[in-house]
Amino acid sequence: MSLFGNRKQAVPQAETLGDDAIVVSKLRKTFGDFVAVDSIDLTVKRGEIFGFLGPNGSGKTTTIRMLCGVIEPSGGTATVMGYDICKDPEKVRCNIGYMSQKFSLFQDLTVDENLRFYSGLYGLTAEKYAERRAYILKMADLEGRETELTKNLSVGWKQRLALGCATLHEPKLIFLDEPTSGVDPTARRQFWELLYDLANDGVALFVTTHYMDEATHCNRLAFIYRGDIIAAGTPQEVKAGLAKDTILRLDVDDGEGALAALQGNSAVAEAYMQGASLQVNIGHLSADEADLPAVLGSAGFLVHGVERVEPTLEDAFVHLVTEQGGRA
Amino acid sequence: MKAQRLRLLVWKEFLQLRRDRLLLPLVFIMPILYVVMFGYVVGSDVRNLPTAVVDGDHTAMSRSIADAFQNSGYFVITERPSSEAALEPLIDSGKAKVGIVIERGTSERLSRGQTVPLGIVVDGADSKTASVASGYASQLVAYFDQRHTAGATSVGSLIDARVRVLFNPSLKSANAMIPGLVGSILMLSIMVIMSQAVVRERARGTLEQMMVTPVTRGEYLLGKVLPYVLIAIVQMAFVVLVGRLWFGVPFNGSVWTVVLGLGLFTLTSVGMGLLISLVSRTQQQAQQTVMFIMIPTMVLSGFLFPIESMPAAVVPLTYLIPLRYAVAVLRAAFLKGSSIADLAGPLLAMAVFAAAIFGFAVSRFHKRLSD
Repeated sequence: MSLFGNRKQAVPQAETLGDDAIVVSKLRKTFGDFVAVDSIDLTVKRGEIFGFLGPNGSGKTTTIRMLCGVIEPSGGTATVMGYDICKDPEKVRCNIGYMSQKFSLFQDLTVDENLRFYSGLYGLTAEKYAERRAYILKMADLEGRETELTKNLSVGWKQRLALGCATLHEPKLIFLDEPTSGVDPTARRQFWELLYDLANDGVALFVTTHYMDEATHCNRLAFIYRGDIIAAGTPQEVKAGLAKDTILRLDVDDGEGALAALQGNSAVAEAYMQGASLQVNIGHLSADEADLPAVLGSAGFLVHGVERVEPTLEDAFVHLVTEQGGRA
Repeated sequence: MKAQRLRLLVWKEFLQLRRDRLLLPLVFIMPILYVVMFGYVVGSDVRNLPTAVVDGDHTAMSRSIADAFQNSGYFVITERPSSEAALEPLIDSGKAKVGIVIERGTSERLSRGQTVPLGIVVDGADSKTASVASGYASQLVAYFDQRHTAGATSVGSLIDARVRVLFNPSLKSANAMIPGLVGSILMLSIMVIMSQAVVRERARGTLEQMMVTPVTRGEYLLGKVLPYVLIAIVQMAFVVLVGRLWFGVPFNGSVWTVVLGLGLFTLTSVGMGLLISLVSRTQQQAQQTVMFIMIPTMVLSGFLFPIESMPAAVVPLTYLIPLRYAVAVLRAAFLKGSSIADLAGPLLAMAVFAAAIFGFAVSRFHKRLSD
């Protein structure tokens, strides 16, 4: 399925652009003494789904705002769709789409009015608007609901309409700031299918998310922590940093209690809850050497099972954050 | 600045306003309510005061004194107690607001050309009513006295005629109120709606979205300001129309004086609303701030209470209230027909306020949106 029916209407700048949608070099932003983004470098290729991960307050949103030309960086340079974000912020804004977790549509406007408003802002012609409107209504499954107020739509619909509004002008780069937070799993999966379609059409996607399963679906990742990118690469590359470590999954009755009991244990590099079970990184030790059932047993916790698992992205990030001396 | 995008922003703002169940009725009801309130209720005229007359004289003369009070329209004789002792309970209970005591022998002494003591008792619980009532009463007596000693024949009708001409406070208070109301409505309306406008978009995340579209900040700002200025103009036109046609408020000045004054005041009001919008994180905060500013503004502007009657220590504060100058300019232009040159002082003050407040708000607006 092609998201954009007519490829000839693509943003003309895209033709003259190289392979890179975003090139960031030594980008920095400070607010007073606080360093929000500390000289980061990154590159996003066209048609790539780029995952930008990190805890809240680590500088994700600040980076996106700089790349969208909303705030000026304190230092460094960045080109977005071939335009310098400092010299040409307006050109940048014409050539990107943006969608945030708030689905920033006008709640008291109807579906049609929202579409008309955004198409006007991007200066779409009447024919183009008619074509895009029909396409988006179909994509978002909103046919027949054109005159409904946006606030009455379910979250999944709002989200797809927001994506529609962000892609009305057929940008070749879309920023998605936690687009799926608060959305049910089915709607999330449908939404990601739309994102894949966009990527297949050559649209670069810059996505922030807290969902590790979503991060796994990205082509490449960068993990930002306290304003610094502490890991980058494909999901496999990021996980490979942990390849020599042993990760155990423990089935314990009282996971929270057991987690507390493991704090300070010399054999345990990292431990955290993964659903109902306990995920423990014991570094270079083997499961027998660490003998966690005995350790926990002496503390009064009954361990039902121990299983060695492949490191997940979450393991990788917990590891990275621990290495930085902080807490996830 | 693209006209097409600006039109779109204004269109969107009106669409949203149309669907706002609270704001829309407010926009229409406010001027109507205020015109009624300030045209009638807050007027300084006091009519139909329940009055008790103690007539100890029982002559044709004493009855005509009582009739003169009744005929003035400000007093309605509801009680006729037999003695002064019976008067006090009536005033205590509020059955009478004013007592008139005509002593025995009044007629006789008047005919001999002597001064006549006439007792007037006023309920001081409501100081405003009291001062107005005692004012009317003493003036009435003075004219009655003067006419009688001059030897006029048909005393009652003459008094009636003089009093009607001299005391026309219902007209007078509306004359002062309506021009002041035009300025107050402009400020209130713009400040209330403007202060909500940006906070709401920030809270809903649409502001964030706007900032990543090609819309420039100037377009966004103008798109916010224009619809509400248009609404304020309609509201003001309504007040002026009702004032002219219903209350008969004269308009002696030039339209340009009024337009200049209101234009400067609009910039000030927009600036204040915008500033509130920028410092407030929630709509509730914005509302509270508007209230916080509106009360001293109303009290100190001279719109409701004459500045001349304020304590000397408070008067310097009134110079910090932009509405003060707007009220002064509007009243002078409406009633006295003052020209722009006559009003150079207050107009200049308004220009300074407009430049400072609006300029500061716009610079903060640009900075704030980026942080």
